[in-house]
Amino acid sequence: VTASALLAAVGFGIVTASILAVAGVGFTLQFGVTNILNLAYGDIMTASAFVAYLVTSAGLSVWLALVAGAAFGSAFSVLLNRGLYTPFVRHGTRLFGMIIVTIAVSLILQNGLLAIFGANFFSLRMGRPTTVHIAGMVFTTVQLAIIGIAVAAMVLIHLLLRYTKLGKAMRATATDPELARNCGIATDRVIDITWALSGALCGLAGVILVMNVTAFTASTGAEFLIPIVAVAVLGGIGQPYGAMLGALVIGVASEVAATVFSPEYKDVVAFAILVIVLLARPQGILSEIATRKEVAA
Amino acid sequence: MKTAVIALGTALALAALAACGSSGSGSTSASTLVVGEFNPFTGHDAAFGPEMVGGCIPAVRLINADKGVLGHQLSCVQEDTRGDPADAVPAAQKMMATETSLIGVLGPSSDEALATVPLLNTGHVPMFVDTGQAAFDHSSYGYFWRITPADDVKGYAMALWAHKAGYTRAAAVFGNDAGAQSDVPTLVSAFTRLGGTIVYNKPFALDQSSYRTEIEAILAAHPQVIFTEIDPQTAATFLSELQQLHGLVPVIGTEVTLQAPWLKAVTSAIGAGALAKYLQGMQPYAPPSGPAWQAFNSSLLASGSQVPKPGQWSTDPYSMTYYDAVNVMALAMLAAKSTDPKVFNADIEKVTEPGPGKTVVTTFAAGKTALDAGKQIQYVGAGGPIVFNHWHNSTFAFEVAKYLNGKTVLVGSVSAAQIAAISR
Repeated sequence: VTASALLAAVGFGIVTASILAVAGVGFTLQFGVTNILNLAYGDIMTASAFVAYLVTSAGLSVWLALVAGAAFGSAFSVLLNRGLYTPFVRHGTRLFGMIIVTIAVSLILQNGLLAIFGANFFSLRMGRPTTVHIAGMVFTTVQLAIIGIAVAAMVLIHLLLRYTKLGKAMRATATDPELARNCGIATDRVIDITWALSGALCGLAGVILVMNVTAFTASTGAEFLIPIVAVAVLGGIGQPYGAMLGALVIGVASEVAATVFSPEYKDVVAFAILVIVLLARPQGILSEIATRKEVAA
Repeated sequence: MKTAVIALGTALALAALAACGSSGSGSTSASTLVVGEFNPFTGHDAAFGPEMVGGCIPAVRLINADKGVLGHQLSCVQEDTRGDPADAVPAAQKMMATETSLIGVLGPSSDEALATVPLLNTGHVPMFVDTGQAAFDHSSYGYFWRITPADDVKGYAMALWAHKAGYTRAAAVFGNDAGAQSDVPTLVSAFTRLGGTIVYNKPFALDQSSYRTEIEAILAAHPQVIFTEIDPQTAATFLSELQQLHGLVPVIGTEVTLQAPWLKAVTSAIGAGALAKYLQGMQPYAPPSGPAWQAFNSSLLASGSQVPKPGQWSTDPYSMTYYDAVNVMALAMLAAKSTDPKVFNADIEKVTEPGPGKTVVTTFAAGKTALDAGKQIQYVGAGGPIVFNHWHNSTFAFEVAKYLNGKTVLVGSVSAAQIAAISR
């Protein structure tokens, strides 16, 4: 294995990590604040991708499709929480029961999309990308756009969490919702906004995923759920910065594994790292919140 | 009184049970011989079943029009395996228990073959399988017959075609699933024997978000051609990234790459022009011509509501071989003068193998006439000659096709004789 091949693998890993970061941060942010492990997340990504598909099929720009996908993911997530998840939580359904509910939603969404769009492969209509050489690595313009979108999203999330009142309220709700409520924080509103924000990231991730894989089906997002959960758990569930780091580790490790060993070992190496890290740090790389959550208990 | 009520109740219950036992679409009258269509009609491989119907019905129509077999009419009965061994095993047991006039089955497919072939063999049911699994290349099951090519035979065909095209350096890009990997050993061995070198051969993890690292490794090995069998989504991602990052190289794929979902996904990803220019796919070849095919096709197109949209199966090699399988069983029964599978199973080979002085027949009617006249026959079907080896596998030709203007267009072919020569 040459140094240039390894360098290329790292570069390609960054593209994979970019998609994982957007999806993983949305997933972990929502779990951190709401304590609902939403396993329908991948299917909401797919549904958002189909919205983007409809937009580009109508002859509109892929940038507009990105906005439409994010908007759909956001609105759908809020409605899903308000209309379905919250009533279950109010009826006292606990974590395991909620996981079953989210799996049911996942199956409904996936089969609903299958019924509407059929068992076909779909592609976003966008121009053929050109290639760009950077530091010995080759990227396409689509891949650079994906990296740019991910970086912008991560910076915005960082600014929101670190420097706004809303961000502080979200962090407080994530750490201890009861204490946050007693301190005067409108936690219900914070939870709504969190669903909207995480849903937007979910929708955005769905669209950039299908921009990258080129062809997708009604189950593409669901197939991507396991790496997303792995990213969230590796970084420390409920910890957005951890998810960013987890995405980078899993994205780069899987590409380097394909170079050093064989493409078959992509998932093997990535998940072996996850297991080893969790053996040493069960709460994940960065999380303090995870120790308070049932999933890490 | 109490005894009378119990007796009446028992009689009613027995009558109800008897009624249940004789109802349902699967059962037939004793004078009708049953050909079981033992394949998925529902589930992820639900497309297999209708393809089988497109072969069975045309054959049975012609046989029945010619007064059937030894005074019996024939009937095709669907037995849905759902593409799952858990459903297929009870379906096989039910079929053998309830279909007392079962003379043989078409199938099983790869989905359920490993679980059901031993069962059917124990039940003395001749089976014309459509599984391509290499596990049956050296099958010792006496009632097992395969007239479609085994999966690993594709490897030989691909190597022969690449050699003919002048390629000497090739990359093998196959999914890490068992079906795709079964092609690889024969491909590597045949291509190497023909003087070529496989410069890259690593199983692909399917449905990843990217294959850029793999592409770098493949291109570093400088292949002239890529052999492939990967699923549509993986293929779309892989080929579009290859096209974007470095430009495409010629691709020779298995029959998977000529199927509609694969073509749709990859056309969207790389464009129809690039697909037509760089891709050639290989699939079992049964030329839609000759007297056997004409008889098959005429009967198929006249099948009416029994075969929905019959024209779609006119050039389908699997439908053609299912048609042949029914004819072979019917002729074997005539040759053995028995409808008992334990008796006529041995005659299956006798009515298909070539030999001096044999009369070549291409239809059931012609075979029946020849047998009635005391002649020995060789049935040559819509799918071509059937020559079984010691393990009841018959070789098959392959066609090479490309996708042009929404249609697959024949580019060339690899003959069964060429494949037989290199597979020795």
